[in-house]
Parts: sequence; C-alpha cells; structure tokens
Amino acid sequence: MDNEAAFARALLDAEAAVPEWIEGRDGGGAERRFSVYRNNVYASLVDVLAGRFPVSAKLVGDVFFRAMARIYVAKTPPDSAVLLRYGGGFADFVAGFPPATPVPYLADVMRLEWAWHGAYHSADAEPLPQEALAAFGPRAERLALTLHPSLRLVRSDYPVVTIWELAARDGEDEPVRLPAEGEDALVLRPALEVEVRRLPEGGAVFIQALQDGATLPEAAARASSSSPTFDLVASLAGLMRSGAIVGMGESA
Amino acid sequence: MTYQTKTISGVAVVSAFAAALSIVAFAAPAAAEDEQEKCYGVAKAGENDCAAGPGTTCAGTSKIDYQGNSWKLVPKGSCETMELPDGRNGSPTALERDRPPA
Repeated sequence: MDNEAAFARALLDAEAAVPEWIEGRDGGGAERRFSVYRNNVYASLVDVLAGRFPVSAKLVGDVFFRAMARIYVAKTPPDSAVLLRYGGGFADFVAGFPPATPVPYLADVMRLEWAWHGAYHSADAEPLPQEALAAFGPRAERLALTLHPSLRLVRSDYPVVTIWELAARDGEDEPVRLPAEGEDALVLRPALEVEVRRLPEGGAVFIQALQDGATLPEAAARASSSSPTFDLVASLAGLMRSGAIVGMGESA
Repeated sequence: MTYQTKTISGVAVVSAFAAALSIVAFAAPAAAEDEQEKCYGVAKAGENDCAAGPGTTCAGTSKIDYQGNSWKLVPKGSCETMELPDGRNGSPTALERDRPPA
C-alpha cells in the first residue's frame, strides 16, 4: 500500500493505526494531531449530509441524524471529489439501518430530498409553451415526449409528500389527517425553483414509461394496466401545467 | 391470473391530449401574474435563495440580514419598491452594501 492510500485509510478508520512514517512535533507520535484531522473529515462530511437532508434531520432530530450520518460516512466515503454528488446512497443505507426502523418513512423522505437536490442542480431547460404543445396535438398518437432533465419521480408506500411538507414548514403540531395511502411525487425545476407535486394513481408509471422513451399510447397503456383508475387527461394536463415537457417528436 | 395489457387507441390519445391542453389553457394564470424575479439585498441572514461570491455560496448561507450579494425570489415588480429598514432598497443586480467581513 502506498503512503497516500495508507493515509486515507487511517483517516476514515478511527481504529486504524496512524501510519508510522507520520511524525508529530519534535519527532514524536502524531496520534493526537491525526485525530484532529480525522475528526475534521468526519465533521465536514456529516455537515454535508445534514445540509442535503434538512427535513429528514428535522424529523429524527439533529443528534440522531448526525450519529447515523457518521456511520454512513465511515461505510461510504465520497467516491467523487465533487461533494454535490455525495449522499445518493444514504437513503438506502437508512432503509436498512435498524435504529431507524421506528421511522419507516424516513428513507422515502430522504429519497424525496435527494430528488430535490438533483433537480436543483440539474441542467436548465425551457418547457414547451402551450402553442408548441397544441401544434403537436393532432399527431399525439405517434409522439414520444422529451421530459425536463430535472424531472425526478419518488414513489412511496407512505404519504411522503405530506410528511415532507409538514416537516419542512415546522407543521408537526398542526392538526392534520395523514393520508392512509402512499404518495408518489413528481420533483421538477421548470425554472428557478424546485417544485414537488403529488401524482395521481398511475401517474408515476405513465411518466416513467415516457422517460423510458415510450410513445403516448404505450405509456398510457402501461399506466392503465397498473392502475385501473388511471386518468390520461389529468396526467397529461399535470405534465403540461408543471412545465415537464421540453420536447416532442415522432418516435423512431 | 393472466396479465393483460390494455391498449389505448390513437384516437383516444389525440382527444385526451386536446382535452388536457384545454384544461391547462383554461386554468393558466394571466401572464406575468405569478412570475418571480431575483432580488438582491433583501433576504434575512440564512434565508437567501442562492448566490455566488465571497461570503455566500448558495441557498441559506448568507451571513447577515439584507446581504447585498445574496438574492431571494420575489414577485416580479416588487423588488425595488420593497420597504426595508434604514432606507435600503432591493435591486435586480448585486449590491455593494451589507457585505459580510472578508
């Protein structure tokens, strides 16, 4: 193992010995100073995660969230120098983290926050104006849609959008009836601000199919196969209204 | 149980598309009603939307109230007329006032 790899390993593993070629002041051991370095690495990465998942951190409290994040950092250090990309696997980790099982919706709230983060930093694109949509209308049966690059879907067995909204505005004490059903979310940044919307039954299957390149009739067929109550008009109107459509064309 | 994929006719899709468009056209707010613009120098500390530059890198990171190089989205047209303490005004471009110490 070369020096750099040994140094990196010792940084992330508190049990690991400090490489013996590192000298402290006056040629003595470097244990204490290396621990300061180690702690700074952890603290900065935990800060990154706490900043990336602010609503989730509120839901379980800062102490629990940071302790959980610290374990994740130890297991999954960043694999890119770009910290914007750090944290994509955190929700999956939390889903399998036993101490978090009393909060079963936490992982989905984190997936929603990760989608929000991805949408925020995705490429800009101009939604098609209504006139352009109208011009394509007569050929709709042969068309595939190009959806906005910021578009993300989050599907949940829990009312994840409602939970996220309430926690985000500190509304935990508001009298509210949580929906018994799960919610699917559409996350999109049509202009400067990220928007989170609830999708109707079958909406997520429909949009996923379109994202995969299906034509409108194919996507509609998949959605109504999965949800008998799928409403094509409402789902199309939702896509148009939210600015999710940035291009249309005949499928190859 | 047999898995049956429903088919949707092209005619149905064309008419659904037209119906969706008419819903959207009907419900669309009057132009410019809900537009927003970036407004510098009006956000309270930590409540800015985003900005680049020394002292503030992104959303929620401005250090002081009404920081001149951080911005917030506000309804279009309200930026420069917004009333702020001590005779300050917002601006659609970054301001030199109220910068955090380097």
